[in-house]
Amino acid sequence: MVKIVLISTFLCMTTYAQTLNKENHTSLEESCLSCHKKQQIPNQLIYRRYLIKYSTTTQIREAIFTYLKNPQIKYTIMPSQFFLKFPMKKAINIEDKKLKILVNEYLDKFDVKKMLVLPKR
Amino acid sequence: MLNSEKRSLIRFLVIYLGSTFLLFSLASWTFYISSKHHLYDKQREQLEYQAENIKSKLRHLHTTFDKTLYYPQIKTFNSAIFDLDKKYIFGSFKEKPYLNKMGHYSNNNHMYYISKLEPYYLGAAYLMVSIPIDKKPIVSLQRNIIWFMLGAGIIFSILGYFLGKLFIAPMRDSINKMNNFIQDTTHELNTPISTILANIELIEAYGMYEKSEELKRIEIASKTLSRIYEDLTYLNLNHEYYREIEEINISKMIEERVVYFSAMAQNRGLNILLELLPNKTLNIDRNDAVRLIDNLLSNAIKYNKTKGNLTVKLTDTSLSVIDTGIGIAKKDLNDILKRFKRANKSEGGFGIGLDIINQVVNSYAFHLDITSKLHVGTKVEITW
Repeated sequence: MVKIVLISTFLCMTTYAQTLNKENHTSLEESCLSCHKKQQIPNQLIYRRYLIKYSTTTQIREAIFTYLKNPQIKYTIMPSQFFLKFPMKKAINIEDKKLKILVNEYLDKFDVKKMLVLPKR
Repeated sequence: MLNSEKRSLIRFLVIYLGSTFLLFSLASWTFYISSKHHLYDKQREQLEYQAENIKSKLRHLHTTFDKTLYYPQIKTFNSAIFDLDKKYIFGSFKEKPYLNKMGHYSNNNHMYYISKLEPYYLGAAYLMVSIPIDKKPIVSLQRNIIWFMLGAGIIFSILGYFLGKLFIAPMRDSINKMNNFIQDTTHELNTPISTILANIELIEAYGMYEKSEELKRIEIASKTLSRIYEDLTYLNLNHEYYREIEEINISKMIEERVVYFSAMAQNRGLNILLELLPNKTLNIDRNDAVRLIDNLLSNAIKYNKTKGNLTVKLTDTSLSVIDTGIGIAKKDLNDILKRFKRANKSEGGFGIGLDIINQVVNSYAFHLDITSKLHVGTKVEITW
């Protein structure tokens, strides 16, 4: 009986986690990347710009969050000349908690640690 | 070579070689440290060069957008990159390294160089480069220094030996002259002394004359001369002398020698006390035993007070001669056994008595102990 309860609990938790992950994944794609794609925004390049300036994920996360909540030239990672050609984006209308999850996902997706490998000797 | 010559040569060599060794060690150490630093500096330069190399490759990698980014790895070198919070990003080390120092540092086997990156290519704020320390040149340097020290040691030892010989040559000449003089003198003295003593014995034997005070003095003086002659001959021939070890009744011999010295002792009004274990035997050469006892008695008589006591004690394990004489100052006790050393020059003699005693004692591995108090007396004890 105990076994059945344990197995059922485990299955429920796994299913919930998968659903949550799928939801989140869909959220990043829907909320951010789909639009980036349409506008041909090079995500990797943007990420590398953050990386070269801030180095740590904590600081990058903070910088992206601040910019998305309050898009201004002083918070952006792009050079000021960029905004002579392109308009400044509007402040994002997503609640903080969810936005933080999306930023984390973004950081995880483009993380260079995952891409780095040692060449075969 | 005489003992004093040997001692002087050894002292000279110790000082000369010691100071040369110290000087060479200091020079070699300075050279070793400077060369070692130079070798390490070369390796550090290599590290810095490779760090710059990796930095330029990271810059290139930062602008590469492939799915896989190949970390710049250089043969024999290991490297790792860290973010601004010093968190490990990636590297070629087998085990994840920790960043807790900056600049150059090393442990027993590896040398490390940590430099800052600006801007942060791939997020890397710090770069750590490491290389195994190449100890071969250092080992080779150590080997060369050891060979040099050995070579210098041999050359300077030979040089020191000849220099030492050169320095002690005047001392050797003086000693040789003195020895030759003593040898010649003793040789010339032997015949007249023997004649005098033989004639005194004849006079006594035939009772030609009453033994007068004058005759006694002649006998004492002749015996003193005879003993000095025996001592000097003993010292001169000591090295070539063949010892015939036999069982000697030492109690009897002491009694005989006391009789021999009785005239001399009486002349000084000494009271001789004999506490001898009867028929004690000792395995010793007869001449050595006579020289030992004679010198002990002679010293005790010579340096005693007029009408003093002279005690001779013979036990199963020791022989002691105790006088109530002038004694020896504490500062002179250490040097008293050296030849020609006399703590008190008020009495005649060459200062060879205790030297002979010491030589006999050393030859038979006996133990000599001298205790003395100035103006109270001296006790010379020989244990076997």
